[in-house]
Amino acid sequence: MEVQSTTGSRVRRRAETKLCLSRRQSLVRGILGRLGHGLLFVMASSSLLAVLFIFAFIIRDAVPFFRLRGFSEFFTSPHWHPASADSPEFGALAILFDHALVTLCAAMFTVPLGIVAAVCLSDVLPFAIRQIVKPIIEILAAIPSVAFGFFALVILTPLFQNHGGNVLAGALWAVGIPVMLIVTWVLSDILSSKFKVGARKAARWTVAAVLAGIQVALLVYLGGKLSSLVIVSGTNALNVSLVLGIMALPTVVSVSEDALTAVGRELREGSYALGATRAETLVKVVMPAAGSGLFAAAILGIMRAFGETMVVWMAAGNSARIPSPWYNILQPVRTLTATIAGEMGETDQTYGAAHYHSLFAMALCLLIVSFLCNFAAEWFVRRTHKRMGKLAK
Amino acid sequence: MDMSSRKILDRGFTSLGIFSVVLMAVTLAVLLTPIIIRGAGAFVFRETVENRRFTFDVFGRGDEAALEVEVADAAKARKPVYDMVAEFRAEVGQMSGRRKRDMQGQLRTVENLLRELLGPFPGEPRPVMPRSRYGKPRWDRAEVALGRLLTVEDYDYSDPTQLGKKVLTPRVEKFRGTKLEELFDYLPAHAEAMLRPEWTLNWRFLTDEPVDANIFGGIWPALLGTIYLTVGAMLFAVPMGVVTAIYLVEYAGSSRIVSLLRTFVSTLAGVPSIVFGLFGLAFFLNTLFDLHLFNQVLGISRSKTVLAGSLTLALLVLPTIIRAAEEAIRAVPHSYKEAALSLGATRWRTVVTVILPASLPGILTGIIISMGRAAGETAPIIFTAAVALGKVPSLTELHQQPTPALPWNIYNLCSENQAIEEIRHVQYGMVLVLVGLVLLLNVAAILLRARISRKLRG
Amino acid sequence: MMERKSISKIAVAGLVTVLAVEAAFVVRTMAADDAKGSGKIVIDGSTTVGPIAKAFAEYYMSVNPGVTISVSESGSGNGAKSLIAGSCDIASMSRFMKDAEFKAATDKGVFPVAHVVAMDGIAIAVHPSNPIAGRGLTVKQVRDIYTGKINNWSELGGPDLKIVRISRDTSSGTYETFEGLVMKNEKLAADTEYVGAQAAMRERIKSTASAIGYVGLGFLDDSIRALEIDGVYPDNNTVSSGRYPVARPLFLFTNGYPALGGHVHAFVTLHLSRKGQEMVEQIGYVPVTKY
Repeated sequence: MEVQSTTGSRVRRRAETKLCLSRRQSLVRGILGRLGHGLLFVMASSSLLAVLFIFAFIIRDAVPFFRLRGFSEFFTSPHWHPASADSPEFGALAILFDHALVTLCAAMFTVPLGIVAAVCLSDVLPFAIRQIVKPIIEILAAIPSVAFGFFALVILTPLFQNHGGNVLAGALWAVGIPVMLIVTWVLSDILSSKFKVGARKAARWTVAAVLAGIQVALLVYLGGKLSSLVIVSGTNALNVSLVLGIMALPTVVSVSEDALTAVGRELREGSYALGATRAETLVKVVMPAAGSGLFAAAILGIMRAFGETMVVWMAAGNSARIPSPWYNILQPVRTLTATIAGEMGETDQTYGAAHYHSLFAMALCLLIVSFLCNFAAEWFVRRTHKRMGKLAK
Repeated sequence: MDMSSRKILDRGFTSLGIFSVVLMAVTLAVLLTPIIIRGAGAFVFRETVENRRFTFDVFGRGDEAALEVEVADAAKARKPVYDMVAEFRAEVGQMSGRRKRDMQGQLRTVENLLRELLGPFPGEPRPVMPRSRYGKPRWDRAEVALGRLLTVEDYDYSDPTQLGKKVLTPRVEKFRGTKLEELFDYLPAHAEAMLRPEWTLNWRFLTDEPVDANIFGGIWPALLGTIYLTVGAMLFAVPMGVVTAIYLVEYAGSSRIVSLLRTFVSTLAGVPSIVFGLFGLAFFLNTLFDLHLFNQVLGISRSKTVLAGSLTLALLVLPTIIRAAEEAIRAVPHSYKEAALSLGATRWRTVVTVILPASLPGILTGIIISMGRAAGETAPIIFTAAVALGKVPSLTELHQQPTPALPWNIYNLCSENQAIEEIRHVQYGMVLVLVGLVLLLNVAAILLRARISRKLRG
Repeated sequence: MMERKSISKIAVAGLVTVLAVEAAFVVRTMAADDAKGSGKIVIDGSTTVGPIAKAFAEYYMSVNPGVTISVSESGSGNGAKSLIAGSCDIASMSRFMKDAEFKAATDKGVFPVAHVVAMDGIAIAVHPSNPIAGRGLTVKQVRDIYTGKINNWSELGGPDLKIVRISRDTSSGTYETFEGLVMKNEKLAADTEYVGAQAAMRERIKSTASAIGYVGLGFLDDSIRALEIDGVYPDNNTVSSGRYPVARPLFLFTNGYPALGGHVHAFVTLHLSRKGQEMVEQIGYVPVTKY
């Protein structure tokens, strides 16, 4: 009995000491806790630190270039002769232009395709097919860039070089025929709706025939022109733009799909209830509502193409020259990323060598553009969500 | 607009959407098919006796007795070739003047082409480079070499103001009436007997060291180097990423800090990969590892190392991990947390014992996906880790040694290499292995995610 | 209070993880590599010298199984930098060290010593269908083509076709050699096309009948035709004897002359041996020895 009571009191006493901390203990714990919180914060801000460090170090090595050579040459001269012994020239205009050209070409192809595909995924395809398509997009996103570059260099390049015209004509036909069919079908129907009911069928067929004829003629003409085209260099801007476009596609699709699903069912159902068809609902209601999100998708997709290195390094031809005429995407080009990757090893990496620092100046350009784009994309995404939040209320 | 044309427009819109999705699927197929088919050629191919000889000599694999028999058989088939060449050499010796000089040149070409196809002539000193010590290791390459031996590609410059015309003539024309004439009938008829091609499944492609600029052997160092870099990147990125996510969800006091941090996370995600590479060079190699502490005390090398590459890749995948972990932690039902807290658990304890286990599959999915990303990235490791040739460093030297890595070696072999055509199969094989590795990781992630969503639903 | 404690626990746990990881990486290897039996050679530098360095490395490792050699083909500048930083034993370079690099080296107490490992001839090449292939050009004619004074093959007695000028990218060592030896530092015509790699140059010439370009001897094959320059055809004899005008030496740089009998010494003198000569030849470069 006695024993039990003593142990009981001991337990109680222990519990008491556990529950109440002495002043010192609580102080120590408080400090430790603060420290812990601080440390945790430091670790959590690793990404913040990384970004700051990246900016700091790129700027640190880019500034000496501008101090050595000034700003104007870099941005206005197209002559890039960094390794010339007597009179090196550091005009990056051609490289900047080429980079923009390649990025925009990729965007022109990937943004419309990606958004249409996203619409299809979010609203058109049945759930079962969506389950199949989604992994396709994920796989496309997962393939390493060097594999895309290999594809561009080893498969596309000889194809372009040896059968360039025919490949382009074939691509035109492959895309043109389905588009033509749809256009003919839709237009003939709309145009024939002006006719009386009795004559409508005949009218539709004649209009369709005329339209199809015109389009086939156009396709034949363009196809003929294209197939007589000789592509002298398979490593060119078109080649890499196509591949970059494919690489950026998953980003565009998934971000715009997110934006489209964020619109919610209420709007859609409201639209359907008013008697709108699916296409009308999508084009007139859902897509405008998701507008900023779609913008963000476009920006993020463009950024993906913008920051890519391996594909352009391997398959763009690396010729630091503005194509002539400037829109000729069948000529070899060279981008900022490829220049950095290709030349960093060849420069003398001593502090104060203009060539070394010029590459950091290029990296700084890349960094600033991607930073701004990222900001814009985020702003757009946030706006969509805010709007949707308001709508939901 | 009346109802029917609206319906038609609707259908047109739908078919446009479906068309774009189909286009995407077709693109993927076009992309993967050649890589898979030709990549398989690195593993499954018709192996000649020369490759079996090489494998036995260098890697010590194969049945010595059987090989000896086979080599003897092949030598028997080759003997007439060498006899014919020897006879012809004697014949040339008796010629004179211009014809002699001309024939000597022709003979030298034939001899060199024969060496390329079959290896050195019997009795010649053993060459140093494996590529000239053995004949063609693969039957497909042997067929190409044989074709060059049998036909001469020439240009006719008779009219200098016009482009020359390509003339393909059988090489036998040059040797009409000589003792070498028969050779050009003998070669195609007995090529298989001389090289004895056999279909083989060479999974050792994955685990063999490359020999003589990848003409022989496999890709083991590059594969292992990629694995080192990837795992190394995860070792740094996972703790950082998961802690950041925990902080963002559970600890960050004000929403302003959260949104600030999140902005920086997405900024980091948007930085072009080549800039990561430059940063790795400027920060890790040129600055951090140049410090006395790292360089002298810890012994970290200032040139490319696996460590520097891993750190650079870790920064690259950090945003992916943070986002995945954050999403996974947020997805844990509130009731779990509340239950734990109401039982008197501290916040930390709740995180460790309740939230982390519940969100683990989600975090793992993110980790697996970013492993795929890290394995495939090239630009960040160009300046920080990757070399063209080298032994894989042992685990204790990762801070001192660079390593070959699949993505870099793919670039290196297919763009700046003399024997690009000769080692096409290696390039395809490497791409297949890299893509396979990445896709395997992604499929694992997809399956894992499917399981999670089933669990959450069930 | 308890919460604070838990935070510190997180922090400690995090720190421990990071430190453990770092420690795993940072275990120093104490193996002494002075003995001739085992050792480590790190080679960094040019892509042009790469094939030689790789072949030598493979050969050397097969003869001395205890030695580990890594070859990094990251460019001449990287090689110089690594040598200066003391992080490689041999820098392979397709150009001589620049003044700035030499100064940086001596400031750090590194004294680069050059070993000419081979010669590389730069062949001026055209499409095989071009009748000029049978005749050749002079250095001056090549210069006039590249400066834009000659624009049509008919001006040289060839077919009436506009000349497509192709050059290596302006930052490559091959371009520097070409610029110095052929162009005599005159500027290239504005419509010159540039390609980024030797193999790409070969492909580019192969695809265009009216093209002219230049590649290293190691990259010549049947698909393009090298021209006689000033009546000299680029091959091993003419390059090594110095008669062919467009050739350059390829270097291996070491820090000071390597200790006699060591692995580095054996490696940088390998090209002087019969086997080394054979390898250099088989890779397509011009050996400096003639056995």
